[in-house]
Amino acid sequence: MCPMSSDQNLHAVFESEWIKFRSVRSSVMGVIVFFVLTLGLGGLISWAVRSHWSQTSGADRLTFDPVSTSLAGILFAQFAVGVIGVLFITSEYSSGSIRTTLAAVPNRIRLVAAKTIVLFVAMIVVSEVVCFATFELGQSVFNGVVPTASLATTDVLRSVLLAGLYLTLLAVLGFSLGLIVRQSAACISIFVSVLLIVPIIFVFLPTSWQNSYEKYLPSELGRSMMSPFPAAHHLGAWNALIVLLIYTVVVFGVGLTLMRRRDA
Amino acid sequence: MLKIDHLTKRYEDTIAVDDLDFEVKPGVVTGFLGPNGSGKSTTMRVILGLDHPTKGRVTIDGKKYEDLKSPLREVGALLDAKAVHPGRTARNHLRALAASNRIKWSRVDEVLEFTGISSVANKKVGGFSLGMSQRLGIAAALLGDPQVLLFDEPVNGLDPEGIRWIREFFRSLAKEGRTVFVSSHLMSEMALTADQIIVIGRGKLITQGSVDDLTATVQGTVLVRASNLTSLTKALVAKKAIVQSTSDTAISVTGLSSDEVGELAFKTGVVIHELTPQRASLEEVFMELTADSLEYGASMPGDVSHE
Repeated sequence: MCPMSSDQNLHAVFESEWIKFRSVRSSVMGVIVFFVLTLGLGGLISWAVRSHWSQTSGADRLTFDPVSTSLAGILFAQFAVGVIGVLFITSEYSSGSIRTTLAAVPNRIRLVAAKTIVLFVAMIVVSEVVCFATFELGQSVFNGVVPTASLATTDVLRSVLLAGLYLTLLAVLGFSLGLIVRQSAACISIFVSVLLIVPIIFVFLPTSWQNSYEKYLPSELGRSMMSPFPAAHHLGAWNALIVLLIYTVVVFGVGLTLMRRRDA
Repeated sequence: MLKIDHLTKRYEDTIAVDDLDFEVKPGVVTGFLGPNGSGKSTTMRVILGLDHPTKGRVTIDGKKYEDLKSPLREVGALLDAKAVHPGRTARNHLRALAASNRIKWSRVDEVLEFTGISSVANKKVGGFSLGMSQRLGIAAALLGDPQVLLFDEPVNGLDPEGIRWIREFFRSLAKEGRTVFVSSHLMSEMALTADQIIVIGRGKLITQGSVDDLTATVQGTVLVRASNLTSLTKALVAKKAIVQSTSDTAISVTGLSSDEVGELAFKTGVVIHELTPQRASLEEVFMELTADSLEYGASMPGDVSHE
């Protein structure tokens, strides 16, 4: 604490939001679910691949990607991450505590900035730890039977790093959506729909549309980011990251603008 | 000093606050009185910068709430006691608030102690009774030791002992020179707590002044029990007094003083058994002032008699 001045600043609000983030069960449970899902499912899928490797065809063996396979748990865990981001703001509206929060921090840009930094820092640390852990778990399961990947390869290291960043940006997207929608249930529904339902709709669209547009879906951007080489009709990892960043900035911008204008 | 400057707040097509203009001075407890839905909570929300005014503005010592450098050190507020994340403990709730305004953590323990909830400080707020939540809200309001304090319906959910405690507490805050602004729809409560009263209805200022001034503006009634009520009533009505019968043997007279009623009874030759001047209570003043502005007026069965 700075003895010179008692004025509120971003650092003070950051500290406050950090206390709030770690003092409720939803964030702590969310992080635990995230760990268990990613490592549990990643390990399980890797083990299934290993145990069926002797029956796997030559063509399938050629396209096998030990990186994406070991990270497969992320496809399920991404929902937990989104929920953590959503609830970080919507729980303030559902409990009414947003009024207490805004009375303590009337500068709404400062409040949103502090919350975003807390969420980003917490989630990038947790996500990278989870991604590296599940990668190593997968490789140790494959070891001796299935071809493995090594972090010494640049594209492999990039895939695991961007997998963590993908999850972190999903949390920020969920949070931004929460700024706009404010209601937990509605917000989580939208989040799950975009990640899960929209890709299913794409299955029924003409192939040419699938090839042109499917790559821009957030879930497909995630796939591009966490694969060492791009799949057919998909963006390269860095382009995928740029598109995801644009989505996040747009939704965040709308959320921040509404937050400033609307009544609490 | 808190200044509400021609404040208007419109939500879609309803006007919640309509050109409200008043000042709340330090050193006294100011009651903010109005029926439910009259705009009290909206005014409180605008003061705290939660809702944006449609027109006009609110200032605290000349500054807008958003411009306060360390808001909790200048203004403490209790709006809705239940507006706390239910999964957080009381202590963590207060610590997060303290951190945001650079208030020392030792102050958290002080306010927990002062409001008498130290023993439940590490319990989740979700399990708190309304009375305990109310005390936590007061603890939060006091956290920054502010000069201006706002309380929206603070006695809700408090037991009689808690109500007595909070009344004394408001007085002591005012005595220290702070600005204390307390809203309520309970006029009887305000009569005991407040020095100054601001009455609103349908978002408009109806009247303001000291409790004594307000009760004086409304005519009192005189309760009369007498031998021959029929002839006395006739004489009173001739003097343009309003007479209501309160029982078989008693009437209530509005528009004449007890002296005048007594003299009239003497002239009419009626024996007086009882002659009691009744000062209007703040409650009656309030009912009279806000009768036209009730948002949800209930029709009364029969006459409303002044008792």
